[in-house]
Amino acid sequence: MMKKDEWQFEEKWPKMRPCVLKLLRQDSVSRSEWQELFMNVHLVCLWDDRNGPPRVHEALRTDILDFIEQAQKRVLDHQEDSALLKAYIAEWKKFFTQCTYLPLPFGQLETTLTNKASPSSQSKKNQNDESIVRKLMLDSWNESIFSAIKQRLQDSAMKLVHAERNGEAFDSQLVIGVRESYVNLCSDPEDKLKIYKENFEKSYMDATEAFYKAKAPLYLQANGVQNYMRWADLALKEEEQRAMKYLETRPGCTSVAALTECCVNVLVTEFKEQILAECAEMIKGNETDRLQLMFKLMDRVPDGIAPMLKDLEEHIVSQGLADMNSAAEFITSDSEKYVEQLLDLFTRFSQLASDAFSDDPRFLTSRDKAYKHVVNDISVFKLELPTKQKGIQNKTQPESKCPELLANFCDMLLRKTPLSKRLTSDEIEGKLKNVLLVLKYVQNKDVFMRYHKAHLTRRLILDTSADSEKEENMVEWLREVGMPADFVNKLARMFQDIKVSQTLNQEFKDALYLNSKEIIADYVNIKILNAGAWMRSSERVPVSLPRELEDYIPEVEEFYKRKHNGRKLQWHHVMSNGIITFCNEVGRFDLEVTTFQMAVVFAWNQRPKDKITFENLKLATQLQDIELRRTLWSLIAFPKIKRQVVLCEPEARSPKDFTDATLFWINQKFALVKNGKMQQRGKINLIGRLQLSTEKSKEEDNEGIVQLRILRTQEAIVKIMKMRKKITNAQLQSELVEILKNMFLPSKKMIKEQIEWLIEHRYMHRDEDNINMFIYMA
Amino acid sequence: MADDEKREQMEVGSGDVDINDKKPDKMFGLKKWNLVAMWSWDVECDTCAICRVQVMDTCLRCQAENKQQECVVVWGECNHSFHNCCMSLWLKQNNRCPLCQQEWALQTTGK
Ligand SMILES: [Zn+2]
Ligand SMILES: [Zn+2]
Ligand SMILES: [Zn+2]
Repeated sequence: MMKKDEWQFEEKWPKMRPCVLKLLRQDSVSRSEWQELFMNVHLVCLWDDRNGPPRVHEALRTDILDFIEQAQKRVLDHQEDSALLKAYIAEWKKFFTQCTYLPLPFGQLETTLTNKASPSSQSKKNQNDESIVRKLMLDSWNESIFSAIKQRLQDSAMKLVHAERNGEAFDSQLVIGVRESYVNLCSDPEDKLKIYKENFEKSYMDATEAFYKAKAPLYLQANGVQNYMRWADLALKEEEQRAMKYLETRPGCTSVAALTECCVNVLVTEFKEQILAECAEMIKGNETDRLQLMFKLMDRVPDGIAPMLKDLEEHIVSQGLADMNSAAEFITSDSEKYVEQLLDLFTRFSQLASDAFSDDPRFLTSRDKAYKHVVNDISVFKLELPTKQKGIQNKTQPESKCPELLANFCDMLLRKTPLSKRLTSDEIEGKLKNVLLVLKYVQNKDVFMRYHKAHLTRRLILDTSADSEKEENMVEWLREVGMPADFVNKLARMFQDIKVSQTLNQEFKDALYLNSKEIIADYVNIKILNAGAWMRSSERVPVSLPRELEDYIPEVEEFYKRKHNGRKLQWHHVMSNGIITFCNEVGRFDLEVTTFQMAVVFAWNQRPKDKITFENLKLATQLQDIELRRTLWSLIAFPKIKRQVVLCEPEARSPKDFTDATLFWINQKFALVKNGKMQQRGKINLIGRLQLSTEKSKEEDNEGIVQLRILRTQEAIVKIMKMRKKITNAQLQSELVEILKNMFLPSKKMIKEQIEWLIEHRYMHRDEDNINMFIYMA
Repeated sequence: MADDEKREQMEVGSGDVDINDKKPDKMFGLKKWNLVAMWSWDVECDTCAICRVQVMDTCLRCQAENKQQECVVVWGECNHSFHNCCMSLWLKQNNRCPLCQQEWALQTTGK
């Protein structure tokens, strides 16, 4: 057995030290030396437990410091930056490796020292990280060599980075090595990146900022905004990549993001105003690549996008209106051209939003807002909606005529027209979808509904639909784009009703055949329609039917009475129509005409060669003045035919020129002319664009729109009040617009009037303390 | 479009050729007449007092079930009229006309 003295520190340290020094220097250590070191540490801690461990710790510190001092000398021997860095990194790597090995033999020391410091944490197993010896090593490195030369290290590293920015190549491992030493050096368990952040990261940031602060303004001045944007974008990309390389990227470390933000500030935010100042011109010039770049840059800057959105909106509005106005001459008379022009604008602006701004939702919203403005603009055409209130005619604000033209265009696509014959089914469908797209932006959708319904009525009654499947599809598409359900349902009901009426017509004919009245069956078709589905107002338009027609009426009424019970019929001669033969000196022609046109020309059957005055025609037909004028005008001035059916004197330039004394007679020389040759046979449709409604009912239609709006607004206010009970004026207005937006945009004035009306009629009242608060009254 | 509109109206030379082609006695003769009429229930009051919907529209139940044709109107001896659907339901509770309180006697059912 050895003596206890032999295990004292004084005895053992000289035996331990050579091995410790070898380890520090990374000299090779034999297995027995390595094991002996373990044993000696163990013995000293066990037998010299009072003095041994602190003295071993102290002796270790001295040797470590000593070693570090040598290392520092070796590093500082190098003056040149890369050499210095290279030397430092080499020394550090060696030392850092030993930070893992040297603590191992001192395990026992760790336990003893820790127990002394805090006896309670006996069971605490020392991780390598928390090892006292390791901490001793790292702290010593930090306090001596690192503190002394870190400024030089950073400066040298940043010099290299600077050189790289200027295009010089060097060994990036030098900078990376320095960063790694900063990252690993920290022994603070709370913030392991503390030394790195406070030194390396900060100096990297400062250097980057300084670099671009000096360079950016010069570049901008020398090369202009457009080149600058390209340069700045490239620089941002480069710096981001560089930062990934040189800065710490472990999870939880935000260095790269911080650096990027710093670059954005100095490269973009700093010059925001100058860059944005060119946006409007670029949009105007459709410079999509440059805009794309500007968008990319500005999207990283606070409030960078808002001015671009504004520029886009202003461009769309002014360009859109300018285009519409310059084409006004063509498009006002041609709904197809009008719709195509609008669609063309939409396509162009959408292309711009896509090419320049990658369909970013913010830019699409701006496009929508501006396009809505164009669609609803009233400078090209306007629609005046009259209101009759207490007998006083007063006009409401004019509105865009767009919905009327959209409806007209739909009619051309759905009706048998040269246009619809020329197009394929897919093309028609495409164009209808385009109409629906524009319709989405229309504020006064109720006007579209009115006109669309009128056109559909006409198509169904005149049997002029090009494709009944497409007609019914259209109804569903209208439903899909959010048109009000009651409107869409009413259209669907018209289709159902027209089918019922077709069956009835067949039954009517069968019954006539059964009674040997085939001739009538050949002459007459009936459409008896449900008034609830087709029209509300039941305006009686008087006309005295010629004998030839009048005789058939009782036949129909009798049949209907046998078939139905409790129903009354109202004849709508304003919508009925037919084909008549016309024989004159030239030949024999079939004319497709309205019943009013029939009533007029049949007046001559008794006196074919006579000239009849306007006054006498009025007596003969019983037509209202305005309807007779309109009907006669369609017979004496039917567009684009060379010879008219009726002639008059004195000459008239418009229906207004007719006086009671104006004379009318049948043109015995009437003929159809084809390729300059007169034809003796032929068929012509004289119904043309003649409305199947009267002048008066058109006016009523527009009045009806206003009345319906008032009603809808009242309903919606009551609905909101019922739900909210108590609501501010502002809130009420916004909820109201939301409810009504698929029909029309209620004007402030109308809302105010309807609120007053509802208050007067005790549906609601104002809060006594707050005049802007409304309270529902049950 | 304007030109198209005009062309569609004319079908020169393609008119039906009459087999006998004899000169008719009148300058204008009827060949086809497409008569249009609107029908409505012959009622004194447009609105059904039970469901508050116009009688020309189907009653609320039939609207929900999308039955268009079956929803007819009934008249009482008192000449008041309602949706048949509404009245049948009403009669299960009460045998009087909702408007005049006379005992309900069916005059006729619409068809
Ligand atoms: Zn009812
Ligand atoms: Zn019903
Ligand atoms: Zn009654």
